[in-house]
Amino acid sequence: MSADFTLDLRGESCPYPVIYTLDALKEMQKGQVLHVVTDCPGSFRNVPEEVVTAGYKLAKEPEKSGQEYLFYIEA
Amino acid sequence: MKTLYNRVFGQYWNPVMALVAAGIFSAAYFGLTGTVWAVTGEFTRLGGHVVEFFGVDTSTWAYFDLVHLEGSTFARSDGWIVWGMLIGALITVLLANNFKIRKPKQKRRYVQGLIGGTIAGFGARLAMGCNLAAFFTGVPQFSFHSWIFIVATGLGTYLGVKVAKTKWWKGKPKLMKGGPAPVTAKEKQVIQPYIGGLIALLYAALIAWFFMTGRPLLGTAAIFGAIFGILIERGQICFTSAFRDLWITGRTLMAKAIVIAMAISSLLTIIIIANTGMTPITQVTSIGTFVGGFLFGLGIVLASSCETGMMYRLMEGQVLYLFVFAGNLIGVTALAFAWDHLGVYNLLVAGGEKLNLIPAMGPIWAIIATLTMLTACYLFVDLYSKHKRGTLILPKGEKRIVS
Repeated sequence: MSADFTLDLRGESCPYPVIYTLDALKEMQKGQVLHVVTDCPGSFRNVPEEVVTAGYKLAKEPEKSGQEYLFYIEA
Repeated sequence: MKTLYNRVFGQYWNPVMALVAAGIFSAAYFGLTGTVWAVTGEFTRLGGHVVEFFGVDTSTWAYFDLVHLEGSTFARSDGWIVWGMLIGALITVLLANNFKIRKPKQKRRYVQGLIGGTIAGFGARLAMGCNLAAFFTGVPQFSFHSWIFIVATGLGTYLGVKVAKTKWWKGKPKLMKGGPAPVTAKEKQVIQPYIGGLIALLYAALIAWFFMTGRPLLGTAAIFGAIFGILIERGQICFTSAFRDLWITGRTLMAKAIVIAMAISSLLTIIIIANTGMTPITQVTSIGTFVGGFLFGLGIVLASSCETGMMYRLMEGQVLYLFVFAGNLIGVTALAFAWDHLGVYNLLVAGGEKLNLIPAMGPIWAIIATLTMLTACYLFVDLYSKHKRGTLILPKGEKRIVS
């Protein structure tokens, strides 16, 4: 899966993964894809939930890779 | 077998289920021991041990007398609730292969964690309990101080969110152009679950030893502590997010789960009290409850976690929470010092009194009043969320589809 932008948020705790992701999406053009990597366990649930609530689309199902979580979100 | 393991450890549990279970177990813990699930009282005693270690004579500190600072943490049931929570959470983190040293790239987080943790620790002890004894296990004890505490915490978290959303507080991550770097690291051999299993076995042996050597109270606390630790870790229970997410984005999952679980726990507790004649645990309601609750709310948002959430996040390897824990200990000890030495008690607490709904209005009205208050909380959360989500700026002028 290719992405236009990548946010590496490993190490950041809640709520910053959600805030950073929403901030980044706001700056992007419609249709562009943002790739987000996190390792805060809370983010596995709240990042996808919050981006969908804010009106964005998940370009791909969230993925768990070891202790990290990968998201692809379409602005 | 593999799929069952995956269901239990491969994914997080529904927070409503985890919290309801925690509510049931905390009512049972009260029924068995006459004490409640709480942590910051023990933190205060730990802070007392630290200052004693540095040669300070704490026998004249009135607050340590109030929380019964005596003996070692390993000889206290409240101590085993705390150690049990840490060990229980660590066991499930390892069984889920989810331990990782996680260090925030934004270095300012460490300072924020320390400051927030200190404020939250100070506030919690001023109010006589954190999100447990003055909230999650305070409401089901019908102690009126928890009602004040919830409102004050709500206001404090609101201010905390205002601070946390400023540019200088939240910082800015590096947004990189292009897709992810190709994955090169091969999955190493998974050993964490074996370590987790080993710790679980050793801990079970310790509990058995407590019972065999005639210390059933410590054994019971050790069991319940571990259960609470497992539940909050597996459910990713976060009281901070219950308030914070409501103010930031209108997310209600955690707030509603907490309200529902408190209602169930209250019902069970009133049944226990009515049938056994046990005395509910009541704390003083005073101006200090409000001020403390407000500071607690502010502190937990600044620290990104309350005293309870901090515990399982520490076990996940989130380094930030070492600073929050240190802040908590500094805060509770500062309050214990300020209590009599700086006149905090006389100023904020002396005018208060112990108010409990059961003696005040009888068990029937106590549970009716509690359930009414919880229903009002639930409705407030729901209405505020609808209001909040309605005002969020829509991206790129898109129409929101109401589900």
